[in-house]
Amino acid sequence: MAGRIHAGAELRDSNSIEADFVVVGTGPGGSTAAAVLTAAGAKVALLEEGGHYTRRDFNMQEGWAYPALYQEHGNRATEDLSIMVLQGRSVGGGTTVNWTSSFRTPERTLALWAQRHGVRGLDAATLAPHFQAAEQRLHIGAGNPDDVNANNRKLQEGAAKLGWNPELIRRSVQGCARLGYCGMGCPLDAKQTARTTFLADAVAAGADVYADCRATLIETDRGRARAVVAEILDRQSGQPGPRGRLVAYARRGVLLAGGAINTPALLLRSRAGTDTGLVGRRTFLHPTVPVVAFYDQPVEAFYGAPQSVAVHHFADRGDRVGYFFETAPVHPMLAALAFPGFGDTHRQIMTRLPFVQATIALLVDGHHDDVGGDVRVASDGRIRLRYPLGHALKEAAVSAMTDMARLQLAAGAREVWTLHETPVVIRGEADLPRIAAAPFGPNRLTMFSAHQMGGSPMGEDPARSVVSSRGRHHQIQNLWITDGSVFPTALGVNPQLSIYAHARLFATEIAKTG
Amino acid sequence: MISRRRFLRRGLVGGALLAGAAIAPFAFRSTRLRPPRAPLRLLSAQEYSVLAAAVERIVPGGGAGPKWPPAAALDCAGKIDALMAGVHPDVGNDFRRLLRLLESSAFGALQAGAPRPFTQSPPAEQDARLEAWRTSRLDLLRSGYQAVKRLAHATYYASPETYALVGYPGPPDVPQPPEAP
Repeated sequence: MAGRIHAGAELRDSNSIEADFVVVGTGPGGSTAAAVLTAAGAKVALLEEGGHYTRRDFNMQEGWAYPALYQEHGNRATEDLSIMVLQGRSVGGGTTVNWTSSFRTPERTLALWAQRHGVRGLDAATLAPHFQAAEQRLHIGAGNPDDVNANNRKLQEGAAKLGWNPELIRRSVQGCARLGYCGMGCPLDAKQTARTTFLADAVAAGADVYADCRATLIETDRGRARAVVAEILDRQSGQPGPRGRLVAYARRGVLLAGGAINTPALLLRSRAGTDTGLVGRRTFLHPTVPVVAFYDQPVEAFYGAPQSVAVHHFADRGDRVGYFFETAPVHPMLAALAFPGFGDTHRQIMTRLPFVQATIALLVDGHHDDVGGDVRVASDGRIRLRYPLGHALKEAAVSAMTDMARLQLAAGAREVWTLHETPVVIRGEADLPRIAAAPFGPNRLTMFSAHQMGGSPMGEDPARSVVSSRGRHHQIQNLWITDGSVFPTALGVNPQLSIYAHARLFATEIAKTG
Repeated sequence: MISRRRFLRRGLVGGALLAGAAIAPFAFRSTRLRPPRAPLRLLSAQEYSVLAAAVERIVPGGGAGPKWPPAAALDCAGKIDALMAGVHPDVGNDFRRLLRLLESSAFGALQAGAPRPFTQSPPAEQDARLEAWRTSRLDLLRSGYQAVKRLAHATYYASPETYALVGYPGPPDVPQPPEAP
């Protein structure tokens, strides 16, 4: 019998439910695991702190979408506010709002995990069937040149001129109209999300989803996870409402898939296997540095598929931190957040919006000596994310901004601006050295993160990892993690597809052995 | 007196808390009040007035020309109050402390040469104070500036009334596909 998606408003206080497996989170990790376990005959209940929205809710207005569909109403950031953290929060998790870019985990990243982080039995061949299954379900085909809008075309042309190997991005879409609003929820359901694919499969096969339910505690008993306690949130206020708590009892096990900030935070709050001090450490963000280029002709980077071209030419820079380039859509609110200054200075940039091209560099953190950030839970219960910007990251950011400026000049930009608080304006090669001289540090330039990874790393050594190479918690035998928090480093590519595939691999084993 | 080291270590909110606690009893003695459009959900009348004054300087104002709506016309500060009412209560409290800190006359003396509350300062002084926070050597003040700046710009430019002013035609019309059975 089919299950259903319950909204918090339908629940009453003192609810308790029971299932074979309780899954926290309905993003790619939770949805895929739920689909696999349900197909294997298990009864699954999923808890989701965000609301349940469908395409008719997606009105393409930033003022609605960011508060409704992102963590902390769109305000999540590192505690010093130096890095804005765009992270999804609704049924479907990050996939509701991601920009559809789909990559398999790079083999060099898998090799690094095996060599340096004690991950075993996780190579490209092992993952291949799971990638294939996810790609098929999400309709991820070959990159499509027709997806390339003017914003991405500039990245493609500049990279080609410089010999930097632009590649087309594979996208999780079917019947895409290239509206440009992936980040606000697809009003056509053309984007293939966790909600429209694996979660729909799980629900059709009997899984129940409890939306507006924020997991706050994993109850353990003699080394086993027994239940998950959730607050039932009031959708309007976002705060715990009058409906109290939902207690979800797990007969066989608990799977955590709340994402790389919330999963470590839940473990820390629950003091569940956290005595090693590893949980919440080594949190990676692909810290992202944008530059904007101004063109004489309109770019209209608010329309068209948001991301269709990537440049991985600098992803591996040997002993220096690597980076890769993609684009960001330029809608007014997101652009206004990113553009520095206030008053008339800021307004002058905004009035050029249709002529702006936005290139972003994503720094591949965790592959060298940089240890990323950490997630802690304060005594008041709030999550604190700290992320120091060390020398290695500074070197990479400066080099990346310089290369992006070079690329946009090659593509024909009139001028390129860094997004330092006082932008460096680049009109030619001679201006490039000024980027290195500009102040660097927290809130000295715009940085954001759309990719959160790590914090509960996998590996075989319990002294260095939180879960096994199949996601099983080292101390709590019936607790698994199936989200991006298990990655021992950043991936070096957009993570959504990797999370689907790893979750599918892990869940396949959980179904057999759990 | 809080040492700078401790100030920084505690980050935006911890530092603001300590500093705000010291200043709070006096900060609002002479705040110029602005009436909110709707009942406030998080902020006090004084805190709201500080926020509204800062937002007015951060977004395009009357000087930008008659087409640009002032922040008050879009109820930016009211929208920020509603948004911040939905975040973790301690984040909301930090935001309130930050507004008290911004209002303090001491910053006026230090950063604009006049010991006046922010809401009682002329526009040029308010701009000088925001600029001092924006470029401060103190991480705390730069964080505080960003908190207010981002909320101001987000609410202003998420308003459809401003779309045409920045050359954004707005979302396209989307033919809705038939409902799946």
